[in-house]
Amino acid sequence: MRLLVLSSVFFALASAVLLYALNNDTRSLEKRAQAQQRDVSTLRSDVAVLKAERAHLARPDRIEPLARALGLVPVRPSQYADAKSAAITGQ
Amino acid sequence: MRRSVFITRCSILRRRRIEELPTRQDTSARKPIRSVAVMAGVALAFASVGVQLVRLAAKHADAPSVAINAPMATGTSRPDIVDRKGRLLANDVEMPSLYVDPQAVVDRDELVEKLRKVLPALNEQELRQALGDKNRRFAWIERGLAPQVAQQVHNLGLPGLGFRQELKRAYPAGQLAGHLLGGVNVDNRAIGGIEQYLDARGLVDPVLQAQATTRPAVLLSIDMSAQHALEAELANAVTTYGAKGAAGLVMDVNTGELIASASLPRVDPAHPSANPRPEEVDRITAGTYELGSIFKMMTVAMALDRRQVTPQTMIDVSEPIKIGRFTIKDHHAASGSMSVRDVFLKSSNVGAGRLALGAGADAQTSFLTKLGLTEQLSTDAGTVAFPVLPKIWGEAETATISFGHGMAVAPLQFAAAAAALVNGGSYVIPTFLKRSAGQKVESRRVISEQTSAALRKMMQANVVEQGGTGHRAAVAGVDVGGKTGTAEIAINGRYDPNAVIASFVAAFPIEKPRYLSLVLIYEPARTAASAGQITASRTAAPLTARLIERIAPLLGVATNRVANNG
Repeated sequence: MRLLVLSSVFFALASAVLLYALNNDTRSLEKRAQAQQRDVSTLRSDVAVLKAERAHLARPDRIEPLARALGLVPVRPSQYADAKSAAITGQ
Repeated sequence: MRRSVFITRCSILRRRRIEELPTRQDTSARKPIRSVAVMAGVALAFASVGVQLVRLAAKHADAPSVAINAPMATGTSRPDIVDRKGRLLANDVEMPSLYVDPQAVVDRDELVEKLRKVLPALNEQELRQALGDKNRRFAWIERGLAPQVAQQVHNLGLPGLGFRQELKRAYPAGQLAGHLLGGVNVDNRAIGGIEQYLDARGLVDPVLQAQATTRPAVLLSIDMSAQHALEAELANAVTTYGAKGAAGLVMDVNTGELIASASLPRVDPAHPSANPRPEEVDRITAGTYELGSIFKMMTVAMALDRRQVTPQTMIDVSEPIKIGRFTIKDHHAASGSMSVRDVFLKSSNVGAGRLALGAGADAQTSFLTKLGLTEQLSTDAGTVAFPVLPKIWGEAETATISFGHGMAVAPLQFAAAAAALVNGGSYVIPTFLKRSAGQKVESRRVISEQTSAALRKMMQANVVEQGGTGHRAAVAGVDVGGKTGTAEIAINGRYDPNAVIASFVAAFPIEKPRYLSLVLIYEPARTAASAGQITASRTAAPLTARLIERIAPLLGVATNRVANNG
């Protein structure tokens, strides 16, 4: 009987310790998960801003004057040629 | 042996328990007292609950209130909008919004003075009014601040001010495709265009915080490069021809996808106007216009499709058409008769009128209805303006509608009908969304393939032959076919010959068209660039040539040289 009581007490204490450890781990994981969620949210926001900035820099209204200043012009249909008509020289 | 020992132990234990139990007499003595105490306790608890309920009911009988503990959405997250090649046109970015807690403000005047220096556009009167209301704990000051400005406000160190992160719509391409995209209000809710489509289709999410959506981007049919080329060429035409405005579109004739759509003057989707000026509306979808001679495409197609005539049939155009008080004549009077083909190429009003009168009002109404020109058109970006039709569709109306007067439609609605005439005869509802590869396109046959082919030949001749009104739309390297239209504008009930809408509808490559373009120049002036003329032949046709020359390579249209060799 005494053995039963002692072992029950032991298991109860062990369970309590185990439970406490699990609880502590869970809280710690929850904190990490929340921090990571915040990081994800921040990064997603940063990505959105970077995407917008990149698209703003690459907008045609900005690129066209820069390209023309470099002497570039849009391709004309007359500049296309059939590949077969090209003179291919080689050994 | 073991069993007998066990039984003996059990009997001893049972005996002990029996000895420990109270006698029957003791139990009967304690039971009434305990029961009464428990019952009294329970009764007291119920009574106290009842009294509290009655008290609350009596106190708030005339003013019931509900406490809402559920979290309320404070913003809206919207998916990205990208062009057909995945280039970004709109997305949500997090931005700080400034608010004030009037109860926490120490010095009202100091706060207003210092804020005004950082925020010059601050509505001071509104802010003072908010600060004066001490019952309020929250009032917006400025929403969607730039991070640098927010930092400057933060550096002021004024008590009572606070920031809340919100989602704000960004349009990184600026005014590009502004009309088409629409715009959103301060709460990130749509107020028009494709943004409205997103709201209507439930593609936006209410959010508690500034949390960007994880929904996939919405793919538009627009090609950003072609859109820019169209807008640039229209702007160039407005300057060159001294016009009041211009509009245009490029459409895939087989799928109905809009590759580009623009209306000048442009609008900024980031700063949408609550009350746009008349010239700021999207002329492609929101305006209806008498489009003039480009309507002759319909008249000739109708006459050919009902086998009333062939391209070689001769039509008498020697005399003007007189119906009641109306007289229909040509700008350049022709003697004798001309073929249907020449009626098209020389844009004869009398010839078109005779073709329409030969078919009759009922046939014309029926044909235009089949092409979707007499009912309101509905697209992804909303409904287009309702066509303006004559109240009485008599002989005079039949004749004038044959060359594009007496009936006004939105350019997009006309383009959808014209696309059906050149693509082999199938009508497709236009769309601003990209169709996926292999997606079945719903269409209905409106004319025969033979009629479509005959019409395409006339359109091509109109551009290729020097006698055609559209010969200035010719592009080296691309086979183009088209039709001009110069429609006088009715001012104070009379058509003004000096105020016109010059238009040109083109298809390319004309043998088997992939794209249709439609450009309109509103009230061009008589400039040196147009040799002092305001006709479409001198304005809209050259504009079309410049546009096609620029966008054909972008759209991968093979040049006639390559196509013929290949």
